[in-house]
Amino acid sequence: MLRHYLLTCWAVYRRRKMFTAINLLCIVLTLVVLLVAAALFDFMVRPPGSGANDDRLLQVPVMTWIGRDGHSRLQAPLGYRTIEHHLRPLRTVERVAAVSQPQSVTVQQASGTQAMLMRRVDADYWSILDFRLLSGRLPDRDDAAQGRMVAVLSATAAARLFPGRDPVNRKIEASGQTFSIVGVVRDSSHSHGFADIWAPVTTYPSTEYRHQASGNFTALLLVRRGIPLSEVRAEVEASAQRFVFDDPSRWERAVFWADTQLDAVARNLLGQTDTPEPDTAVLVAGLVVASLAFMLMPALNLVNLNVGRILERSVEIGVRKSFGATDGQLALQFVVENILLCLVGGAISLGGAWLVLAWLERSDLIPYFTAAINPAVFGYAVAASSVFGLLSGVIPAWRMARLDPVHALRGVA
Amino acid sequence: MIRLENVSKTYRTDKVETLALRNIDLRVDKGEFVAIMGPSGCGKSTLLNVIGLLDRPDSGIVRIGDGAVGKRADRELARLRNVTFGFVFQGFHLINDLRVVDNVELPLLYRGTPGAERRRLARAALERVGLSARMDHYPNQLSGGQQQRVAIARAIVGQPQVLLADEPTGNLDSHMGEEIMDLLESLHRDGTTIVMVTHDERHAQRADRIVRVFDGHLMAPELAC
Repeated sequence: MLRHYLLTCWAVYRRRKMFTAINLLCIVLTLVVLLVAAALFDFMVRPPGSGANDDRLLQVPVMTWIGRDGHSRLQAPLGYRTIEHHLRPLRTVERVAAVSQPQSVTVQQASGTQAMLMRRVDADYWSILDFRLLSGRLPDRDDAAQGRMVAVLSATAAARLFPGRDPVNRKIEASGQTFSIVGVVRDSSHSHGFADIWAPVTTYPSTEYRHQASGNFTALLLVRRGIPLSEVRAEVEASAQRFVFDDPSRWERAVFWADTQLDAVARNLLGQTDTPEPDTAVLVAGLVVASLAFMLMPALNLVNLNVGRILERSVEIGVRKSFGATDGQLALQFVVENILLCLVGGAISLGGAWLVLAWLERSDLIPYFTAAINPAVFGYAVAASSVFGLLSGVIPAWRMARLDPVHALRGVA
Repeated sequence: MIRLENVSKTYRTDKVETLALRNIDLRVDKGEFVAIMGPSGCGKSTLLNVIGLLDRPDSGIVRIGDGAVGKRADRELARLRNVTFGFVFQGFHLINDLRVVDNVELPLLYRGTPGAERRRLARAALERVGLSARMDHYPNQLSGGQQQRVAIARAIVGQPQVLLADEPTGNLDSHMGEEIMDLLESLHRDGTTIVMVTHDERHAQRADRIVRVFDGHLMAPELAC
């Protein structure tokens, strides 16, 4: 039966070239937008760069202080002291890395100055995120312990600062400090990985950062193998309850949580800064509803096109019914035809989305963005195409399949 | 084999009611060749559609074999149409997007016959109508007479109990019309029950019995020559 549906479908679409082209255009335009949105969302929640550690990686990006007066609140990235005292000793984690927010620095060169993004990181950072070393070496614990003024450049930064030359062992001056370049890594697009320059935390001009409870750091936690994430979350939450304030008369308690990347995105987008576990299900459901709503208008247009297309086949419907087709079989035939067209549209849309993402990647609109049509986005494309096919195909198919055979045979449906 | 008892059918639109069939009693026995005649709009096609379960009567009983059809579900009616009837239409009604052989296989497709068996039976049906050489052609590559022969092959491929033909020669010239009538007569000689609507007195005379319809009524029965 399926072979028969495919044969008919191929013949109908080949015969009605203009209709097929308009239908495909409508499908492709809708799905390209959805696929680009899906790829961007996927990039946010599953950024490349954590490699094999992806399923063991948690992050503590912010902490909230709650005042004794009941309404004072302070929300800020973690201070280095908080990471040292409250996160590094956790028994459920294998490693903890401190990484600063990327800060704009001015790099002085003989050829002029360049604005770049710089992070200060500790030695564990390099083993938690998955960096690919292109030349030289990565800073180690000894560099940090000795406070050596060393730095690593991204491939893009290296090309900008030292075009055509190997930057290893050369020096740069960034915001008044001189660094010796020890290595070059491939560009990272991870939300805690992207930067132009990385230097050890101990290269800060002052040691003040060591004593700060809140500051500009994020903690990356590599969970011990076999430990459930929920156990780590509970330990982090308990650790926050033991937080000691410099000014305990003003602040009553501090809260911070260990989030997956999806949790962190949901927490930001939904504004759920005080919730132990953000409603990721609500976020995903909201995105699915938004996708469906976005598909609805073009789907309604396709419904009209499909009704017209099927109406002109009313004699065929009458003939098929005369020879034993049920309403269900006919509806299924028309739905299959529509879903197949949508799947073809989905395949074209993948190509279209790839082009748009490649353009986004080159345009530098999003720093260190890398386009990825990965299996998850591909799966979303198949699902979205099928849903779109169902949305736009079921109503006309069912309506036309229920035509009275006598009227259908007269072609007056 | 087929019995209609006191069957009536009215078509209703917003403003007009048209009584198409009035209290029809009709019996078609196995192996019979019955011609239905009458002026345009008298209800003969409606009668054929009611017999073929394409249309439901407003009142009365339609019996196929021993059972009354009654108000059966769509799925059951579809199965009954599939195994009981083969339809031949005035306008051929072949699906132009499908090859001749795929058109002929259609009734077997809805019966769930496996592909290889479908192909074998379709080839045999096309041989029966003398068109096995055209099985890979598309309908619009054939003449009108050839298309009607394909339609007859489609109607007989599932070996239905009754062949229902609605003005099968209406769109053909006299020569091709005679060819189709020869074919129907030959099928009848082989034991096929045929009910045929026609305007053509000469063609009707080739049936065993002529049923005349006028204003939705059956006229007195008569025997063909």
